[in-house]
Amino acid sequence: MVQVLSAIMGHRSVVGLFSDEDSAADALDALQAANFESNEYEVLTGTPYPDGTFGEAEPVHKLYRFPLVGAICGFSVGLLLTVGTQLGWPMVTGGKPILSIPPMVIVMYEGTMLGAIIFTVIGIVFESRLPRLFMGAYDDSITEGAIGVAVTTSQDRVEDAEKVLNKAGAERVKRGWEKD
Amino acid sequence: MVDSRDAVQKYLIGRHLEPRGSRFFIVSIILSVLTIAGIVGFVLRFQDGFGQGDLWGYYVALFAFIFAAAGGAPMVAISTRIAKAHWPRSISRISELFSIVSLFGIILFIPMIWILPDMEDGRRTLWFFGKLNVPSNLPHILTTLGLVSLVLTGLFILWLSLMPDIRFLRDMSNTKKGSWLYNLSAGWIGSSRQWFMQRHRIGILGAFYFMTLIFVHFLIAVDFSMTLVPGWIDALYPVTQAHNSLQVGVATVVLTMFAVRYFGHYQDYLTIDQFRGLGKLMFALSLLWFWFWFSSFIVLWYGAKPSEKSVLELLMTGPYIWVFIAAFVLLFVVPLFTMIWNPLRRSIWGPTIIAGCVFIGAILDKIRIYVASYSVIDQAGLHEIEHVPSTIWPGFADILIWIGGLAGCVLVYMLATRILPVINIWEQKELKLYQVHKKFHRIEVQVLGKPE
Repeated sequence: MVQVLSAIMGHRSVVGLFSDEDSAADALDALQAANFESNEYEVLTGTPYPDGTFGEAEPVHKLYRFPLVGAICGFSVGLLLTVGTQLGWPMVTGGKPILSIPPMVIVMYEGTMLGAIIFTVIGIVFESRLPRLFMGAYDDSITEGAIGVAVTTSQDRVEDAEKVLNKAGAERVKRGWEKD
Repeated sequence: MVDSRDAVQKYLIGRHLEPRGSRFFIVSIILSVLTIAGIVGFVLRFQDGFGQGDLWGYYVALFAFIFAAAGGAPMVAISTRIAKAHWPRSISRISELFSIVSLFGIILFIPMIWILPDMEDGRRTLWFFGKLNVPSNLPHILTTLGLVSLVLTGLFILWLSLMPDIRFLRDMSNTKKGSWLYNLSAGWIGSSRQWFMQRHRIGILGAFYFMTLIFVHFLIAVDFSMTLVPGWIDALYPVTQAHNSLQVGVATVVLTMFAVRYFGHYQDYLTIDQFRGLGKLMFALSLLWFWFWFSSFIVLWYGAKPSEKSVLELLMTGPYIWVFIAAFVLLFVVPLFTMIWNPLRRSIWGPTIIAGCVFIGAILDKIRIYVASYSVIDQAGLHEIEHVPSTIWPGFADILIWIGGLAGCVLVYMLATRILPVINIWEQKELKLYQVHKKFHRIEVQVLGKPE
């Protein structure tokens, strides 16, 4: 979606391919020095490096809010369901209060879990920007060990990005699908 | 053992893509025939309809066993990944693939919706049927909902874990846009953000999987067995079943590891480290089984009300005494008196044989519980068991159903490994980032880092 919007907004992407981690990290420094915003570039790898290996900023996300919101919604539905049915048909059972917590907990727990799981899945898809309908700038050699530094920026700055990547020692620089 | 990350990837993808030998196809055909035999068994059993619950005890036991084993197996990957351990990296996919087998379990569950009578038979349940205006088939609805949530969560974890590996396959096989591989990878490109999210989301979903697993076991244990036995009131029984799922889940992963190691020729990735690690876990879970069982037993035994004595007779000392003794020995005694020996624990054959014992013990335990429970289904509305029925032996149809059910699970798993890499490639590559061999005085030691 981001890529589609980027294309519509006149953004273009370019990826520089590096053979080692230090060159890729240097490229990020160079992009920063050339006044590219941190949300305009990202590192593409075939291995999960520890966060910040290349000096990239930790992604800002709201991943933990999704399960929390889902859990609250699910809990509320479970609570309303149990309280509603028990108040709707008030029957004293075993001398216990009409609103007895232990039997209510079961339905509330299932509601909470369901809400949390559903919202987590939605959150994951949203936060990971999946599905990625268009690849943007990408190269299969990243799978084979190359480290990609992808820059998505306005059309007039693509050439600047290419220059920075080349100067930083990129073995190859490739434009994204939007070039066509 | 290949050293560099690229070499690991090439090796594992190469191993995955290479054609399977004739043995794989012969075994697949045999398993398919056995699965069909299971379907025939089901049809034979179905001729008597769902009305006679006591005829379906073995079928329900089969479902309970498959659900316990396949549902518990992914916990091996989830728990060890949360602990940030390195040794389980090569077994995480082996355990996650069992989510697909759980899908097979859902198919087995469908007839159980008709086998379990609705609550109008007067049995006592958690749902206060007749007092609160709940639907008479509330157990069926809630269990189905819980089971589907659990399996979907497991499949989602599997998909998340698979995404980078599918991308490797996609790139290395030049898959075109629109193919199933391309779609399954959902446009994964390995950006820092995607790796970051993957790390966190697998952890969150893993925690949810665990919480749902416990809950679904609670529902199945209570609604599909305990409430059918009049006078059986045991707060620990549901959690015992959840625990047993973890125990047999670990045992199932050990057995699968053994098969993948020898038949898939992954000796370099499934080493003694993995067998020793899971062996210790299985040992601990076997000790815990005794604690749960004894805590349940002592309450009924000391209470000694007629209703409690009948329950003990039905489940332990009566018609299924030998099944109970065998299950007790295989689930607790054998692991206790074998796994305490270091040479046995520090081997590949040792934990595998013990896992086999636990696996068979769990089968017998499910048969003991579920066949016994369904044998008194006609007394479910009473306050206590009036007479304990004699042993229900498996009929020809039951034997076919069990053979077919187990064969179906193995077949589903084998076919899944045909499509999806059985060793997690990205985790192996990640391991290479943190693994260094250094000289330490006169020896060479392995130094492992930990991402924080």
